Amino acid sequence: MSPRSKTTNENSSAIFAENVSILYGEHRVVEDVSFAIEQGEIAAILGPNGSGKTTLMKAILGLIPYRGEITILGQHFHDVRNRVGYVPQRFTFDRDFPITVEEFLRLAKREQCSNSRVTTVIKEVGLTPLVLSKRLGNLSGGQLQRVLIAQAILNDPAVLFLDEPATGIDVVGETAVHDVIEHLNKEHGTTILMVSHDINMISTLVDKVLCLNKKLLCAGSPKKALTQKSLSELFGVHHSLYEHHQHHE
Amino acid sequence: MPLLDLLSFPFIQRTIIAGLILGLLLACLGVYVTLKKMAFFGDGIAHASLAGIAIAILAGVTPMPVALVWSLLVAIFIFYLEKKVKLSTDSLIGILFTASMALGVVLMRFTPGYQPDLVSYLFGSILSIQTFDLWLTAGISAAILLWLFISFRSLTFLSLSEESAAVAGIKVSLHTLLLYISLALATVLAVKMLGIVLVSALLIIPPAIGRILAHNFKQYFTFSIIVAEITILVGLFLSLQFDLPSGASIVLTGTALFCLATIFKRRTA
Repeated sequence: MSPRSKTTNENSSAIFAENVSILYGEHRVVEDVSFAIEQGEIAAILGPNGSGKTTLMKAILGLIPYRGEITILGQHFHDVRNRVGYVPQRFTFDRDFPITVEEFLRLAKREQCSNSRVTTVIKEVGLTPLVLSKRLGNLSGGQLQRVLIAQAILNDPAVLFLDEPATGIDVVGETAVHDVIEHLNKEHGTTILMVSHDINMISTLVDKVLCLNKKLLCAGSPKKALTQKSLSELFGVHHSLYEHHQHHE
Repeated sequence: MPLLDLLSFPFIQRTIIAGLILGLLLACLGVYVTLKKMAFFGDGIAHASLAGIAIAILAGVTPMPVALVWSLLVAIFIFYLEKKVKLSTDSLIGILFTASMALGVVLMRFTPGYQPDLVSYLFGSILSIQTFDLWLTAGISAAILLWLFISFRSLTFLSLSEESAAVAGIKVSLHTLLLYISLALATVLAVKMLGIVLVSALLIIPPAIGRILAHNFKQYFTFSIIVAEITILVGLFLSLQFDLPSGASIVLTGTALFCLATIFKRRTA
């Protein structure tokens, strides 16, 4: 990336991406994507499987190389990592592994995991401190996801990245995770960018949606961006879920 | 001969001290071996060290330092290949350890006569721990244990989720490389006592028992260390008392403890 003068958007936006392309060898996974997520927004990257959603998020987080310009809070990720939280898509660990929730949370930097901070974040994600003594492997899918979010917000991040936060958990767990996302955004002003393919959730929860299928096909508020045309273009088939949801609104 | 009389021999004292140090070291590393599912790594490195031992015997120098350097290089090469080649780590280890062992076998062809050093490395011998070996074991173990103590949080975090650890600013590649190097050195240090063929058991059995008994991570470490030390002490005692190979005695003791732990867990579950 060549150094250049920062634009107003780049400085004021929580996340700013300009002409971002990502290649795996010769294969172009994400192509010339530009967008800005403002501070305090909840945004979602929507797209079918293999559309480059997770890859784009990993590039924003500096986990994989990319072409173009990406800034978080006006700076490169490595300069603001202390103000960023991340919950990965796959947290596959051996469920028999003997580690408690408290021990897991205390793996963070020493200054971030005082007794009071650990208790506070557990309450923030809607769990009781009793869960701290439970084994990580004994939690339900929804509880585990909330513990992962608790781990990601120990440093009180300004920007939180969630990769498929509600995938693979039941409806109750899903609702609980959505409540946590809303709470963090409303009470703490946390900017949230998540990867999702849940159109119903996106249409009710997020301020901005980025439709990605290698290229950015639409962007904006869900009401404006998620049209029948854009969804058909994005998923390649007639998408009835969103229509169904709109009827209920 | 009564046990107390046996303990008066310097070589027995050296073996017990080295065994206790190695028990602590291998139990701590073994926790990460099970967490990262890399049990094959220790086995592979131990077998690969045969080439280092053969080179040393051929050159007429002390085998242990050469084996340590050789294993270190193999560990670094595995780490490098993991990044460069689209093959699973197990496949890479399998290729490198068999190649290295084959090289060892070829080199031994040029070493005439019976090689007592080689036999003790293959199956372990309590007679083989010299003062130099003890100091080498103590020094390298202290360095690895210090690193484990300092990097405990980072290493555990990245073992659970490399991506989250990288985002949190943990140097994942550096810690992984240091873990590989530590494992390679610890395995080769223990080869003299347990033998190439059996050494990886001490990386696997104590943490496996610790895992059966523990409720949390602190207990997991504690139980693994206690079990490793008991395994080594009882194994060495049986080896001395009944004139058995030390490596086999230690491994069979560990296996018996594993069976007892499994029965205990089933009864209390």
